[in-house]
Amino acid sequence: MKQDYFSANNIKYIDYKDVDILKRFINPSGKIMSRRRTGVTAKNQRKLAEAIKNARFLGLLPFVAK
Amino acid sequence: MTENDNQENMLAETAAGAEKTGNIKTESKKERVYELGLLLLSTISEENVPGVFGDIKELILSQGGEIISSEMPRLIHLAYVMEKTIENVKKKFDTAYFSWIKFQIQAGSLAGIKKQLSLNPEIIRFLLQKTVRENTLAPRKFNRSASMRYRGSSGSKEEKEESMPIDKEKIDEEIEALVTETA
Repeated sequence: MKQDYFSANNIKYIDYKDVDILKRFINPSGKIMSRRRTGVTAKNQRKLAEAIKNARFLGLLPFVAK
Repeated sequence: MTENDNQENMLAETAAGAEKTGNIKTESKKERVYELGLLLLSTISEENVPGVFGDIKELILSQGGEIISSEMPRLIHLAYVMEKTIENVKKKFDTAYFSWIKFQIQAGSLAGIKKQLSLNPEIIRFLLQKTVRENTLAPRKFNRSASMRYRGSSGSKEEKEESMPIDKEKIDEEIEALVTETA
């Protein structure tokens, strides 16, 4: 069974500036991976999605990757 | 008589203390921690960037804010091209100076900052959000731990090589032979 990445690494706050971590949870075309694939808890998946969307707004992550 | 006076004084002091704590509580309730992430125009020359950043910090301070932490602007490649209308001309940017400021301010004064930032011609975009006082950036231990593991494994290999049986007598003989040859 997959473990929650953020709980395993003791990450309390998912920051939009942590691009290296966020990149793990987007697929090659830039879409946010589903919970089924990430194995993240529902609460953290919501925070993760928010962080990715904020990072996209500030140009740190792409909306669509070619 | 004196005892009564003392008691009265004590009561007055405690009442004043309660008022003070009350004030602190209400202030702390109103004051919240926010983070401002912003993108500055890449057309600003590198010498002027700290000045522009300083102006934004001063804007926060002028509204009664208290800066907790910040990062100096650094030039980044944007993940996609952004547009900003400057003097009625749409200009495209694929690089920008990214920085962030974490600050504490009363919730009511945030609107003023927001308005000023939106009018600032040197900002491409900004993001204001509620956050916490603690550092929210995760420590970068993941790559390091991997490298440490790699190093550890390589070290053990070396140890294995070193741990091969060594005959001291043979070495001594070889050294003596070399010495005699050179002599």
